[in-house]
Amino acid sequence: MHRRTVIKNLALIIGGAALLPSCLQEKGKASIGLKNVDVSADQEKLIGDIAETIIPKTNTPGAKDLQLHLFVLKMVDDCYTKKDQQDFMTGMGQFNDLINKRYGRVFGDCDTKQREQTLLSIEQNKDPKITTYSTELKIFYGIVKNQTINGYTTSKYFMTKQVVYELVPGRYNAFYPVKMKQAV
Amino acid sequence: MANLNIDSIKDRTFDAIVIGSGMSGGWAAKEFTGKGLKTLMLERGRDVKHIKDYPTTNMYPWEFEHRGEMPMALQEANPIVNRCYAFHEDAAHFFVKDKEHPYVQDKPFDWIRGYQVGGKSLLWARQTQRWSDFDFEGPARDGFAVDWPIRYQDIAPWYSYVEKFAGISGNKDGLDELPDGDFLPAFPLNSVEQYFSKHVKGKYGRHVISARCAHLSKPNQIHLDQGRVQCQERILCQRGCPFGGYFSANASTIPWALKSGHLTLRPHSVVQSIIYDETKGKATGVRIVDTNTKETIEYFARIIFVNAAALNTNLVLLNSTSHRFPNGLGNDSGVLGKYVAFHNYSAHISAEYDDFKEWTTDGRNPAGGGYIPRFRNLRKQETDFLRGYASGFSAYRGQNRSWDGVGSSLKENLVKDDLGPWSVGSHMMGETIPKEASYVALDAKQKDDWGVPLLKISMDYDDNDAKMKKDYIDQLTEMFTSAGFANIKASSDHRAPGLDIHEMGGARMGNDPKTSVLNKWNQLHAVNNVFVTDGACMTSTSCQNPSLTYMALTARAVDYAVGEMNKGNI
Repeated sequence: MHRRTVIKNLALIIGGAALLPSCLQEKGKASIGLKNVDVSADQEKLIGDIAETIIPKTNTPGAKDLQLHLFVLKMVDDCYTKKDQQDFMTGMGQFNDLINKRYGRVFGDCDTKQREQTLLSIEQNKDPKITTYSTELKIFYGIVKNQTINGYTTSKYFMTKQVVYELVPGRYNAFYPVKMKQAV
Repeated sequence: MANLNIDSIKDRTFDAIVIGSGMSGGWAAKEFTGKGLKTLMLERGRDVKHIKDYPTTNMYPWEFEHRGEMPMALQEANPIVNRCYAFHEDAAHFFVKDKEHPYVQDKPFDWIRGYQVGGKSLLWARQTQRWSDFDFEGPARDGFAVDWPIRYQDIAPWYSYVEKFAGISGNKDGLDELPDGDFLPAFPLNSVEQYFSKHVKGKYGRHVISARCAHLSKPNQIHLDQGRVQCQERILCQRGCPFGGYFSANASTIPWALKSGHLTLRPHSVVQSIIYDETKGKATGVRIVDTNTKETIEYFARIIFVNAAALNTNLVLLNSTSHRFPNGLGNDSGVLGKYVAFHNYSAHISAEYDDFKEWTTDGRNPAGGGYIPRFRNLRKQETDFLRGYASGFSAYRGQNRSWDGVGSSLKENLVKDDLGPWSVGSHMMGETIPKEASYVALDAKQKDDWGVPLLKISMDYDDNDAKMKKDYIDQLTEMFTSAGFANIKASSDHRAPGLDIHEMGGARMGNDPKTSVLNKWNQLHAVNNVFVTDGACMTSTSCQNPSLTYMALTARAVDYAVGEMNKGNI
């Protein structure tokens, strides 16, 4: 092993040790530090279960493998207005209540079909006159959905293994046959 | 003050001082040092060294904490700069934040600034077109502003001179309104852009050409000598380019000037004023504040070039008062700060085209697509508004990747190779008329941290702009319709002036010292060793992107200034 690599790895180990205390998180709190929204461990799990339903593990990694729920939380915490954050929290509570009422259990304990049907039904409910789902609930779900896909399609995994992102294309072909693109 | 002893004065004396290190300041420094002059370049912001100080340049999308998006707290704290199209996580460090450098908006004006070595040349959109006599003769023909004291033939050789060094890609299109330059190969139009080009040429006699841009499509030895190599089509230019693929002061003129051994680059130096000596009848130097030590220091030189960026150049001149010039250096005419103008970028059109399905593109186009030179009121007045507009035009094809649904079917949709129809888009770049009522001035009360009065900005759209915008939308809609494009959507936004980042004027060139600030050599009529060659010098705005013209005017003015100095006239 090269000396440089050894030092780098050592730094990683030391770095990891320095991070340890933050892993001893306050019981019941989310696993990442959040400044603007107060999210519990249970709520973090809920977002993880929703994200996993949106992008499930198949023969390729799913949302939890890629920690997309933590990305969703990071984005909610940093990139939304106060109003959106409030609606997100309110909507999350309403989502929980709805699942409880409908299935008598938490979202994560529902089977795949129940989970998928619930999410699809919220997503397809676009008529504002139908009030099965409140505005806040739809905002909550909309943010989780968008940021899960955003996080997925911009993840290192996706951009190196699925639709490959080129940092340095080194070319511009103005006339490129579609046939060639599909052949790649 | 200890630094008043003779040795210290000698240390602070140069042949030339250049205020500003951006697009035009970089050129001034390169030209002066190339002629062997000991040159001091002053920059108010921090140093940004080529490659070394581009912290995000090689980052992948997933390496950005918010995948490029600006956190809401920063957006809310910076409503002005946040409106700039390039203010994202990858380049935010090159923009002035709203609270750092306040200014007074008599009328709304989004002042987008880059206070660092290289200035906005790091961030520019790199579109470079020559002006023609339709532009230089515009004010005289159409009766506004004052006549430009130069014509195309005065500047043409200097366009060639700067093009060869900067590296400009383009085709020789043979258009009177957009003279050909010394080009590197153009980035070609794609299938739909080329189709539209043929269509509008046949039907309207108008042109859609490959956008001309400051990218090294095929570098020459002079570019390799600068340490720059071929553009790699990354289109991450705003981060600073490690290849030097596009022209910036950081990649090109400044390192070149430094290599000469004649340049002293001094960042963290806010210029308070230019020092005028009443007995000599000349400027003798500049007074700066070191932003780290807060110390006031004077530097001296025989020639002073003001390249602080259009509005800040006005600020420096207005704040340089003396018994001889109580209203600002060289301001005998009283027009200093007045007749400022900008470009009208507030209209866009988009559409779709359901043809050429067998074609797409591969890689990325640094030129951004096509350019439609001005066709309105070109050879004669045709409409009820003055002047005209250029337009961008580009076509692109995206993947149909639906985000609907959940689960494994969604995962499959997200990787689908299913190309959608062609999308096409255009944006307006309109000339605006400089007016006396459009001005910048010193605020009477408020000063910044360095004792310099805040700049008060007052300019707005007028009736001419509204009529021109309507014409752009009408004309482009008709051209799109006749080309067979569908789903045409014209939009007009309500952006304030400034967001075009093409503010110009205030110290305009002209033949008559009674109505202008600078002569045909960009030299103050009243102080022959002070020159202004950035956007402040512009008599009118044309609709071409202005940077190439600033570069050419700068090289030309340095050549003249040094010639005059050698003759003993300066």
